[in-house]
Amino acid sequence: MDASGGDAWIVAVNLIIWTGLFVYLLRLGRRLRELEKES
Amino acid sequence: MKKTLPWLLWLWISAVIVGAFYYAPLAKGFIGKSSRILFFHVPMAWVSFTAFIVAAVWSLLYLTKGRRESHDRAAAVAIQLGLLFGVLATVTGALWARVMWGAYWNWDPRQTSILISLLFYAAYLALRGAVDDPEKRGRLAASYALLGVVVTPFLFWVMPRLTYTLHPEPVVNADGKIEMESRMVQVLLASTFAFTVLFFWMHNLQCRLQALIARKAEAQE
Repeated sequence: MDASGGDAWIVAVNLIIWTGLFVYLLRLGRRLRELEKES
Repeated sequence: MKKTLPWLLWLWISAVIVGAFYYAPLAKGFIGKSSRILFFHVPMAWVSFTAFIVAAVWSLLYLTKGRRESHDRAAAVAIQLGLLFGVLATVTGALWARVMWGAYWNWDPRQTSILISLLFYAAYLALRGAVDDPEKRGRLAASYALLGVVVTPFLFWVMPRLTYTLHPEPVVNADGKIEMESRMVQVLLASTFAFTVLFFWMHNLQCRLQALIARKAEAQE
């Protein structure tokens, strides 16, 4: 444990970027399933 | 189960991000905290390499298993994603180089080899764009991607070792061992695994999207 408190914002930014990408991929997967059912 | 897997990946990568900063120690011999970029830079380069090999496998299937369009599409998507991860690996590497060597770009053998490999696969996309006939395009693109089986390992593993390099020791050294603090190895392997799973997920989604677009185009004709 040698990370100082100064790293917290970098961790937070990384988590926000990753969560954003994750939500996008999840929604894309759902939409694709719907479209595949329709076609 | 299918619905749980993405959430497990979210949890896994989130744990990797936290672990990279709060669990793994800093590597000796690196300026400041720059060694933390290792946990993202190396997996990105690994995924890029994997994607190019995956593309070669799909291309081989295309050429040998009845020229199916889905195989051709899967190869093209793998190369698109390989380029994306390759660019990310190059950018993170350049940022690291700025901290360690004082300049973003130094024409180091490893930087040069990844640049050549990116140009090689960018040419694949240009080749696809230049041929209109789907059958001819598929055949040419698959042959080109198969050539990558020789080119990619040479550029990623052989060329950077041929001359003197500023790049840190390869993660897996010449004896096939990983000489790194154990907590660093744990985070690095966890990250590499997670990025690989992420690649296959993205590949699956993109292939399905391309298939739907192709189906729609066919229906409109």
